[in-house]
Amino acid sequence: MISPGDVGGDPLTEEIVELTGLLRRVVGRRVRDREAVDDIVQETLARLLAARTRLDGRAIGPYAIVTARNLVKSQWQRADVGKRHEHRLADTRDPVRPDEPLLEQEEAEAIRIALDRLAPRERDVLVAHVVEGRDTGSLADDLASTPGAVAAQLGRSRAKLRVEYILALEGEPPTRQCRPVLLSLSAGDRRRQGELDAGYHLLDCDFCASMSEPLFDRRAKATADEVRIPVTVDADVVVARQRGREVAVQAGFSATEATVIATAISEISRNIVRFARRGEVTVTILTDDGASGVLVVAQDAGPGIPDIDLALQEGHTTYGGLGLGLPGSRRLMDEFEISSEVGRGTTVTMTKWHRR
Amino acid sequence: MFVSILQQGDFLIASIHAALDDSELMRFQKDVMAEIANHRAKGVIIDVAALDVLDSFGSWSLRNLVHMARLRGATTVIVGIQPEVAFSIVELGMELDVTTALDLENGLEYLESVTTGHRAGKSMLGVLGSHDT
Ligand SMILES: [Zn+2]
Repeated sequence: MISPGDVGGDPLTEEIVELTGLLRRVVGRRVRDREAVDDIVQETLARLLAARTRLDGRAIGPYAIVTARNLVKSQWQRADVGKRHEHRLADTRDPVRPDEPLLEQEEAEAIRIALDRLAPRERDVLVAHVVEGRDTGSLADDLASTPGAVAAQLGRSRAKLRVEYILALEGEPPTRQCRPVLLSLSAGDRRRQGELDAGYHLLDCDFCASMSEPLFDRRAKATADEVRIPVTVDADVVVARQRGREVAVQAGFSATEATVIATAISEISRNIVRFARRGEVTVTILTDDGASGVLVVAQDAGPGIPDIDLALQEGHTTYGGLGLGLPGSRRLMDEFEISSEVGRGTTVTMTKWHRR
Repeated sequence: MFVSILQQGDFLIASIHAALDDSELMRFQKDVMAEIANHRAKGVIIDVAALDVLDSFGSWSLRNLVHMARLRGATTVIVGIQPEVAFSIVELGMELDVTTALDLENGLEYLESVTTGHRAGKSMLGVLGSHDT
């Protein structure tokens, strides 16, 4: 059970809890039983809290409404199934159904179709990692890339695979907007969700409304060891480095190494505040072949960096006479990558591996 | 209260009690400069033991503070830099370029040795120590 008293001061969390009144109205219009209304509202809040770090602020309200509606719908279905089976006194949760083999065949076909829809290079890397068990380090060697970048790419490929798998099962979506919206939700890419107005699309489009939750549920399980910190003001820089330090300690880093990681996070978060005004930092625990590490991704939708080489030069003046932000974090971390597009934004990806 | 600035004779003891963000660091810098002027302080101890991170901006603003204080005739010593924070400063490629001491007591000894005509009593150290915890 979730009550407003259980959750902390996180503004996004507060916003979700404030949705309670709205949710009661949405569910109350469809369900008579007060107890059932409470259950559905609670369940909706729980799912929202689990998904909150993956949602653009404007998408929270629409996502809440869509989730509540889906829960109401599935409750009706359950009640319906229960009625149909009453006379047989059978356990309605009995997993063996006559159409089971057919379903399996359908699912295998859906996975094949979904894999076909990935770019060949993307597919090869994903298959090598998931099926052949290759770790990101050896894949990075093959691809002349870094383990951090390979891990980030694998995340994007998985997100795409989830979307294509569900579309292969459910059929092509009704609008052109659907696929990119589902992809942004599956990838937890809040910047893209904002660009696409994903929240409004969910309210408009029944198809995506029913698809969005399965996408989120899988994603939430896959990323328990991850924190996402929105960065807009000075104080967020401190929050980002403190949360990042916690993740680093959780990943097994010593106090000194965790401070080094926190320092690098501090530098790149400050860059977001100064140059982009709005962005976010994600810190994820990496595990590969017995080694552990952290992946830090700082993403913003700011003006972009016209000359990355110049920005990476030590002593290049970015503020107050010191320009150690980017080159400094590069020195502190094992891997460092920056991609930037003028007018679109900047993404810094950095990794540190735990040495034993 | 994230920071405190106390007067002890000719010296000021400015302590940071929590992680500060950039704007708080700037305000701290301004407040210390104002207190140096108010009290005509000859020496300043800045206790940064509670700082979680000293990144490029933090190091830059501390160094700036020390240089500005010097222009006002006050000698400054930074105390309490945590070992892991010190390690990160070096890794980052920063040169803090300021006088540091292990703790308040060593900081005061240093200030006494460089400023003339002033002697700090041992009792004062006790008072500061209890305030600091
Ligand atoms: Zn749609």
